[in-house]
Amino acid sequence: MDIFDEVKDSKQKFQEELSELPIDEKAIEDFRIKYLGKKGIIKHYFNQFGKVPNDRKKEFGKLMNSFKQEVTQAVESLEQKLNEKQKKQEFFDYTLPGTRPVEGSIHPLSKTMDDILNIFKDIGFSTELGPEVETDYYNFQALNFPENHPARDTQDTFFVEDDVVLRTHTSPIQVRTMEKQKPPIRILAPGRTFRNEAIDASHYCTFHQIEGLYIDKDVTFSELKTTLYLFVKKYFGEEIDLRFRPSFFPFTEPSAEVDISCFKCGGNGEQCSLCKGSGWLEILGCGMVDPNVLSASDIDPEKYTGYAFGMGIERIAMLKYGIDDIRLLYGSDKRFLKQFKQL
Amino acid sequence: MIINSKWLKDYTDFQYTPDELGERLTYLGLEADQIANPVKKLNKIVIGLVKGVEDHPDADRLKVCQVFDGNQDRQIICGAPNVQDNIKVPLALPGCELPEGKISEVKLRGLKSEGMIPAEDELGISDDHSGIIILPKDAEVGIDFVQYYEDRFGTSYDIDLTPNRPDCTSHIGVARDITLLTESELNLPEVSFQETGPDINNYTTINIHNPDGCPRYAARIIHNVKIKESPQWLQDRLKSIGLRPINNIVDAANFVLMETGQPLHTFDYDRLKGQEINVRMSEDGEEVVTLDGQKREMDDNILLICDAEEPVAIAGIMGLENSEITDSTTNILLESAYFNPASIRYGSKYLGLQTDASYRFERGIDPENVIYALNRVTELILEIAGGKVCQNLIDNYPKMIVAPEVKVRFERINKIIGEKFDPEWVTKKFKKLGCKILDQSKESITLKSPSWRPDLEREIDYIEEVIRIYGMEKVKSAPKISIQPDYLRNQRYDFNQKVRNKLAAYGYQEVFNNSLFSIEETEYNLFDLEPIKIKNPLSRELAYMRTNLLAGLIDTAANNINRNNKNLRFFEIGYVNDLNFEKDNKADEYQYFSMLLSGNLEPVSWKYNNRRTADIYDLKGDASSLVNYFTEIEPEYAKSNLDTDKYANIIEVILEDDLLGFLCQVKEELLDDKYNIEEQSLFVFEGSLEILYKYFDSETNYTPVSNYPAIERDISILVDTDKLVGSIIEIIENNGGDNLQEVQFYDLYQGKNIEEGKKSLTFNLIFQNPDRTLKDNEIDQQINLIFKNLKKQVNAKLR
Repeated sequence: MDIFDEVKDSKQKFQEELSELPIDEKAIEDFRIKYLGKKGIIKHYFNQFGKVPNDRKKEFGKLMNSFKQEVTQAVESLEQKLNEKQKKQEFFDYTLPGTRPVEGSIHPLSKTMDDILNIFKDIGFSTELGPEVETDYYNFQALNFPENHPARDTQDTFFVEDDVVLRTHTSPIQVRTMEKQKPPIRILAPGRTFRNEAIDASHYCTFHQIEGLYIDKDVTFSELKTTLYLFVKKYFGEEIDLRFRPSFFPFTEPSAEVDISCFKCGGNGEQCSLCKGSGWLEILGCGMVDPNVLSASDIDPEKYTGYAFGMGIERIAMLKYGIDDIRLLYGSDKRFLKQFKQL
Repeated sequence: MIINSKWLKDYTDFQYTPDELGERLTYLGLEADQIANPVKKLNKIVIGLVKGVEDHPDADRLKVCQVFDGNQDRQIICGAPNVQDNIKVPLALPGCELPEGKISEVKLRGLKSEGMIPAEDELGISDDHSGIIILPKDAEVGIDFVQYYEDRFGTSYDIDLTPNRPDCTSHIGVARDITLLTESELNLPEVSFQETGPDINNYTTINIHNPDGCPRYAARIIHNVKIKESPQWLQDRLKSIGLRPINNIVDAANFVLMETGQPLHTFDYDRLKGQEINVRMSEDGEEVVTLDGQKREMDDNILLICDAEEPVAIAGIMGLENSEITDSTTNILLESAYFNPASIRYGSKYLGLQTDASYRFERGIDPENVIYALNRVTELILEIAGGKVCQNLIDNYPKMIVAPEVKVRFERINKIIGEKFDPEWVTKKFKKLGCKILDQSKESITLKSPSWRPDLEREIDYIEEVIRIYGMEKVKSAPKISIQPDYLRNQRYDFNQKVRNKLAAYGYQEVFNNSLFSIEETEYNLFDLEPIKIKNPLSRELAYMRTNLLAGLIDTAANNINRNNKNLRFFEIGYVNDLNFEKDNKADEYQYFSMLLSGNLEPVSWKYNNRRTADIYDLKGDASSLVNYFTEIEPEYAKSNLDTDKYANIIEVILEDDLLGFLCQVKEELLDDKYNIEEQSLFVFEGSLEILYKYFDSETNYTPVSNYPAIERDISILVDTDKLVGSIIEIIENNGGDNLQEVQFYDLYQGKNIEEGKKSLTFNLIFQNPDRTLKDNEIDQQINLIFKNLKKQVNAKLR
C-alpha cells in the first residue's frame, strides 16, 4: 500500500471517528491532538513528504492540505457545538418553587352532603328541599308526634310562634313531598336543622341532616337494610360492618338505630377514643314509615309501605375526618378549611 | 335510667356475662351502657378486721389500729373519726395504687403504718370523705376487696330508654323483657302481711274531682312506724343504682318504685288536715312550696292532691313540705295512683320540674300494677319500720283503663319485614309478652295487650315487637333493591353545587356560619328583610334568624385576621328568612350566596416582590365572572343610595329586571371600632342565588371561530374625571359596528402631564369579520365614528 492509499485510508477512518464522536470536551480535545497535534496524524504524513516521488509531490501536497483543512474545520465545528451545548447548560435550578394559584375549598359539611347524595343518586334518589322555619304541623303533628308526648322532649325546639318552629329535623320534607307527589317516592332531603341545645364540643344549635324516604308497593325492612349496607360500605369502606338495633321514632315503626363498626380500632379497642371501647359508632336512625304518617298524607298504608332514614351530617363528617369539636365547623379558620379536598 | 344485674336476677334467671347482658338489652331496644365499676382497676386491697384501737401517743387525732388482713396483723395509723374496734374494713396494702397515689409503709408521727383504711372518695366510689368505709359484718376477712365489691353490687347499666317503653322503667319490666330471650319465667315477689290495724275508712276518704286527670287512686294507712336507717341490703340495692339511702320509709318507696315502676308517695298522716284526700285541678295563680323548698306558682291545669284545706302534693310530680315525712313521723298515708300521662307532662313542663315519678307517669305506668305496688311497699315498711297497717285499702278507680284489642295479620308481618315468620313462633312470643289471645285463625291473631304496654295499640306496634324479639340483626338483607330512574332530578340543588365548585375554583373557601344571630346583626342587611324572632332563644346573641350572610362572613374574616390569616377569600351559600307570616303562615326564605375578599391577591412568590392588594374591582371581577359563567346576560351596575354605617361604595348588581345583589366595601371605621382591624380592607358581595338561578342558562351557544385576521386598534382619550368608564365603553360599543368584537379598557391615568380635572383613558378594540379580511379604511371609518360620538357625548379629546 503506497502512502496515498495510507492517507486515503486515514481520511476514511477520520470520517468514521468523527461521525461517532460525542460532543464532549475531553473527547474533542483528544480527537484534535490525535489529528492536529505535534505528533498527530497530519504532522506524521507531512513528515513523509520527502519520501513521495517528485512527480507526485504536488498531488500529495494537495491531498494533505485538503485533509488538514477537513480536520481543522471539523474540529472547529465540534468546538462550536461544544460551546453551544455548554451555553445551553447554564445553571438551571429545577428546585425553585412554582408559582401556584390561590386554592379555594369546599366546606367539609357540603362535601359530606354531596358525597352522600351522590351515593343515593346512583340508585335513583332525587333531592328535595324544604323551609327552615316550619309549622308545628309539618315538624311534629304530621310525623305522628302527639302534643304533650315525651317524644317531643327528644327534640329541644326553638319556637317562633306557638305553632311555628325552626325545624328540628329534615323529616318535614317527607311530609311536604308526600303531599305533592304520589308513590313511588324516592327522595333525599338535605338541609339545616335547629335544636335548642347549649353549644359545646358536640352540640351546636344549628346543624344539618339528610333524610331519605322511599315509598312504593312492597318496600320492606329487609330492603332498607340492603340500602343502608350499600351506603355504609360505599361511604365508610367495604370492611365496615353495621348493626341494627331497635329504637323509637314517632314517624317510623319498626324503628332502628344503625351503628357501624369503629373504623379507628376495628371494633376491638378497649381504649379507643372514638368508640369509647364499645366497638360501635352510632350513625343514623331509620325505620318503616309509620302508617299514621302515610295516612296523614293520604297515602293508603295498606297499599303502600316505605322506609325512611336520617343522619346528622356534622356527626358523619366529624367521624369521617376525625374532627373532635363541632365548633370548628362554624366560622372556621382558613387553615382548617384548606384541608378538605373535593375529591 | 339505671338498672342493676344482681337486682334483675331477683325476678328472672339468666346466664349472661356483664358484656353479654349489655349487648342483649341493646338488641332488645334498651340501649344499655355498662357503668364502669369504680374499683375495678384497683388491686392489693383486702378485707381486714380491726382488732384493737388505741390513741396515738404523739397525735391527738390519730389512732393506732391493729388490723388482721387474713394472714397477719398490721399496724395501721388512721385519722378517721369512725374507726373502732371489731369492724370490717377494706385495707389497702403497701403497693396498692389508689387514684391519689401509691400506698407504702410510712411512719406517721414516729409510728409505722403498714397500709391504709380508705374512705369512699379515696377509692373513687363517691366523694364522701366523712369516714372510712365500714363493711357489713358478714364480709369475709382476707378476701380480695374488688371481687367482694363486684359480688355485692353486681354490674349496673345506664339505659337510654325510648319514650315508647314505660314498662321498662323498672327492674321487673326489664327482667320481663329478658324473658323474651330466655326460657326462664318472670318471678314476681309474693306479697303477704297481716292487716292488724283498725279500718282505714275510719281515717280517710278519697275524693277524685277530676277522673280524667286521675283515673285511679289507692291508699293505705300504717300506724306507729319507726323512722330509722334502712337495713344494709336495702341500702346496697339503692346504692347499686346510684341512689342515696335516706331513711327506711323513703327508701322503701324508692325501692318499690325502682322495682315495679309504680311511683308512690308517703304523707305524714298527722299533718293532713280533715280526714280526706281530694284530687283536683289547680287554680290559676295558686302557690305551693314543694319538698325541695321551692315556691311554685301554677296555672289552672295542674293536678293537685289536697287535704281538707290545702294542697299537699303536686300529683305525680312532687310532694309538698307541709305533709312531708320527718324523723318524728309515726303514722303514714301511702299513695299509689295512676295519673293521666298528658296531664302530668303538662304540669312537669309548666313547672320545669322533672322527677322520677313524673318521668314514669308521663310515659304511662301500668294501671293494673297500682295495688300490687301499694301492697309491696306496705309489706316492706312493716318489715323494716314496724307499725300496724289498717284493715282494707282504698281503691278509687272511677275511670277504667281498658287495653285495646288488636288484630295482627301474619301476612302483614312478612310484608313489612320482608321475611317469612312462623305463626306458631309469633304466637308464642306474643303470649310471653303478656298478651291475652282473644281469637286466632290461620291468617291472623287477635290480642289484648298487657296493661304495662300502653304502646301496643296497633297492628304495626306488634309487628315491631316481632322484629325486636326476633332480632333485627337476624333479618336478612334483601338480595336486590329496586332502582327507579330519576329523569326529573332537582336541578336547584345541583345548581348550588355548581356555584360552590366555581367559587372554589376562583380561590374562595366555603364557610358555614350560624343561622341564628343578634338583632344588631340585622344592621348588616343590604336586602330589605325583617328578622324572625325566636321566642325561647339560647341567648341574646342568638335570638333571631339571620337576614343576611354578611354579618357572619365579616365575623369569620375578623377572627381569621386576628389569628394572622390575612389573605382571605370566603364564601357562604345559605338561607336567610324574612318575617312574612300574613301571606301564607310561613316565613319567606331566600337563598343567598355571599363573598368576601381581603388582603393580598397572589400567594407569596420569589418571582414578584410586590403582591397586589385586593380592592373592590377584584371582587367585582370575580362576581361578574361568576355571573357570566351561569348566564349570558350581562349584569348592569348601579350606584346604590342605601345609607348604612356598615358599608361604603355600594354597587347594585342587576340582571335585567331583578336586583341580583350588592358589592361594597366594609367601612374602615367599623373594622377599626368593632373588630380591631386597622391595616386591611374587606370587600363583600351579597347576592340572591334564586335570582341567579332564574337566569341560569346551561345551554352552550357555540359560534364558529373566524379564520380571518383580527385587527387591533388602541384609542386614548382625555375626559373630565367625573365621566363613567362604563358609559364610555357603551358609546364605543354602540358605534363600533358589527365587526367590533371586543373592547378592553386597559389604562387609566391622572396626574403628571395631564390637565387638572381630566383623566386619560386607553381602550383596546378588536375588529374581526367571520367571512372576510377587513380593510384598514373600513376600520378607520368606524374609529372616526367612535371619536365623533365620544366628543359629542362626553366631550372627549383625542390624545
